[in-house]
Amino acid sequence: MTQPVLELIGLSKSFAATQALKDMSLTVLPGEVHAIVGENGAGKSTLIKIMTGVHQPDTGTIRVDGQPVTLRSTQAAQDAGIAAIYQEPMVFPDLNVAENIFISNRAKGRIMRWSEIYAEADALISPLGVKLDVRRAASGLTLAEQQTVEIARALSLKVKVLIMDEPTASLSAHEVARLLDIARALKAQGVAVIYISHRLDEIFRIADRVTVIRDGQHISTKPIAEVTEDGLVKDMVGRALESFAVKTAANPYGDTLLSVKNLTCAGVFENITFDLHKGEVLCLAGLVGARRTDVALSLFGIAPATDGTITLAGKEVRITTPQQAMDLGIAYVSEDRRKLGLAMPLSIFANISLASLKKLLKPFGLIDARAEAAMAETYRKRLAIRSPDTLIEVGKLSGGNQQKVMLAKWLETKPRVLIFDEPTRGIDVGAKAEVHGIIRQLASEGVAILVISSDLPEVLALADRVLVMREGRQAGILPIEDATQERVIALAAGQATAERPAA
Amino acid sequence: MTLLTRASPQTLRLLALGLALLATILFFATQIEGYLSPRMFNRISTSAAVVLPIAVGQAIVIMTRNIDLSAGSVLGVVAYMAGQLLSANPDLHPILAVLFCMALGAGLGALNGLLIAWGRVPSIIVTLGTLALFRSFLVEWSDAKTITTASLPQWLVDLPSANAFSVGGLDIRVTVLLALAAVLVTGLALTFYRPARRFYAVGSNPDAALMAGINARRTVLTAFILSGAFAGLSGFLFLAKFGNITVVAGLGYELKAIAAVVVGGVSIMGGSGSMIGVLMGALLVDTIDNSLTRWAVVSEFWRDALLGGLIMAAVTVDTLASRQLTRLRKGGTQ
Repeated sequence: MTQPVLELIGLSKSFAATQALKDMSLTVLPGEVHAIVGENGAGKSTLIKIMTGVHQPDTGTIRVDGQPVTLRSTQAAQDAGIAAIYQEPMVFPDLNVAENIFISNRAKGRIMRWSEIYAEADALISPLGVKLDVRRAASGLTLAEQQTVEIARALSLKVKVLIMDEPTASLSAHEVARLLDIARALKAQGVAVIYISHRLDEIFRIADRVTVIRDGQHISTKPIAEVTEDGLVKDMVGRALESFAVKTAANPYGDTLLSVKNLTCAGVFENITFDLHKGEVLCLAGLVGARRTDVALSLFGIAPATDGTITLAGKEVRITTPQQAMDLGIAYVSEDRRKLGLAMPLSIFANISLASLKKLLKPFGLIDARAEAAMAETYRKRLAIRSPDTLIEVGKLSGGNQQKVMLAKWLETKPRVLIFDEPTRGIDVGAKAEVHGIIRQLASEGVAILVISSDLPEVLALADRVLVMREGRQAGILPIEDATQERVIALAAGQATAERPAA
Repeated sequence: MTLLTRASPQTLRLLALGLALLATILFFATQIEGYLSPRMFNRISTSAAVVLPIAVGQAIVIMTRNIDLSAGSVLGVVAYMAGQLLSANPDLHPILAVLFCMALGAGLGALNGLLIAWGRVPSIIVTLGTLALFRSFLVEWSDAKTITTASLPQWLVDLPSANAFSVGGLDIRVTVLLALAAVLVTGLALTFYRPARRFYAVGSNPDAALMAGINARRTVLTAFILSGAFAGLSGFLFLAKFGNITVVAGLGYELKAIAAVVVGGVSIMGGSGSMIGVLMGALLVDTIDNSLTRWAVVSEFWRDALLGGLIMAAVTVDTLASRQLTRLRKGGTQ
């Protein structure tokens, strides 16, 4: 039998009162892709942090190549041959690409030989199939490019175990394919890849074995051939889940509410034309970089359009500030919870009331704290935000619950048009099904909904119609009956046979 | 346009600074009689020499997303105590005297650094505290006595007028050379010495630094120790230049240093900046400062206001220009 490259034996870890890991064991073999799945809060993050030396386990043993090791720091983990790349890449925006790659490479000595560094960085980057100038500063790189930098960094350290934590959460389909290719190449070189993802289809494409964890405990480890998607989901949530990514019947929708004609933002996107009806869910699909978010930002007045018309409920409007958009009943639930969506250090209630404080005003401009608390409590119950009360800091919630808080904030503004940008990015299957349920429910109440999603199964499960964008242009609109994964991808990637004039 | 889009923002910034410096000199040359003289060159270069080391230290601290407001007080304490030491031991070797100054400064800087890195207190709070604390200590320690030139050893009194060499009629003083050496050594280290690159890394993205196995606390501590040591070197040059040291020695020098650093293009948000920029920033600030004193049109009271205006203008122009540049490039590549 092959010597496992990494063994975790009986790890336990507690933070204050919560036990994050209980008697967790895991064996990773060289040259395998080992997937780890589990709902948010199952203990995956803690497990990763222990493997990368950020946290130390309370009890238990870690062995690398059969030798017991203590990983006191990320540096120690890297020295032992364990590195990780994260959902939100960790790059230094002010340093150039090459230096980002070799930043923690102590084998390179104390003197920076820049020409050598550039050459080696180039040699690491080019086999990854990405064109990247290693001398440019890392600021302004796309997420996929930043990830490439991180992978190159791990490769430069000659890793034995590479942990990929939700690496595809914000990548487009062809970027995902490239990442999976890289993972396969690493595997062929004998590197063990620990692959953590909420996207089960990817796990079936790439993994050799899959481990399910739940509530900080090891549930099962099986060869991929022996598991089914339903079985995995059942193991993850501990119960069967009916509504997971199942297409619900399209809502019969009503009158045109929002009509967009030839919307253009010079140099960003052009000639976007669509009607959005009451009770309709229109999904914007496309590759990352197709400028879908920019369309949403211009509808919300953050980056106003330079040309074209927007008609809301029969009246032509010009939207140049978010305040105007909100007054018109347009809400935008951002994809970037951290930067644009939530005030992380504030409590749940303060986040929920943030966009509708005007309603809560008492004389002298004071805020009616009781009404504010009641408002927050209503949403906590209605959206099933998992938290004992609404006083907890939003930053301490899981991704799914943060998403619900953000949604609550916008629902309170009673929007007529609700724009969701990547509503389920980085949240677990259970929460995802709930968010889908909420979106459907809102549509059936007559809200017009625009969803931007890079997750194709999600698009097909949610949408009544799908608008596909490519490089700032509208590639076509498909009614849900005609929309299949293949057709959407064909339009998004611009394959000639699927080319259609803008609808 | 091709130059604008091809050259790095840093290069453009230096170019702009150079032009501003040139414009300033030309402007004052038309206003002040005998401005373009070796005398004026000496006046500006020796005055900038005192500010340069403290600005170098400040730049390192600012690169790590921190600030050192206590540097001026450190300068004062070091200048005074070094004066005392040299009065008592006139035979102390000059090199040992310089080392004493830097070590004393480093010690005070370490106090800042420990409180900031391990005490988790924001640097602006800690150094605002030690700014007052070090100064009060000096007042207490000095017992309101003044160090006078008469009590200092002769070599130190002669040092400010000592010439290293002359270029085309312009004298390069030893003190200027010392300050330039501090800039050069630091500049080389920041470019080629791997551990020094951590200052940029920590300031650029502290979370990523942690994940990359960089000890951010030690890096910040080192930055403050260096800032203290360089403030100490400035303290030595201050002592040499002025000879008479009272308890207000170096008052406001931290602001002058921050001005030089910011005008020199070191981002106040951390992560970027160069020593050439700091050098040019210090030269520009000191040129303006020294020229204004000789320019009859502007009263003494307006000098500070003009300096303040310069800092704001530099940062505003920088922000606007880099935004414009980003837009230009986006347009160019897509």
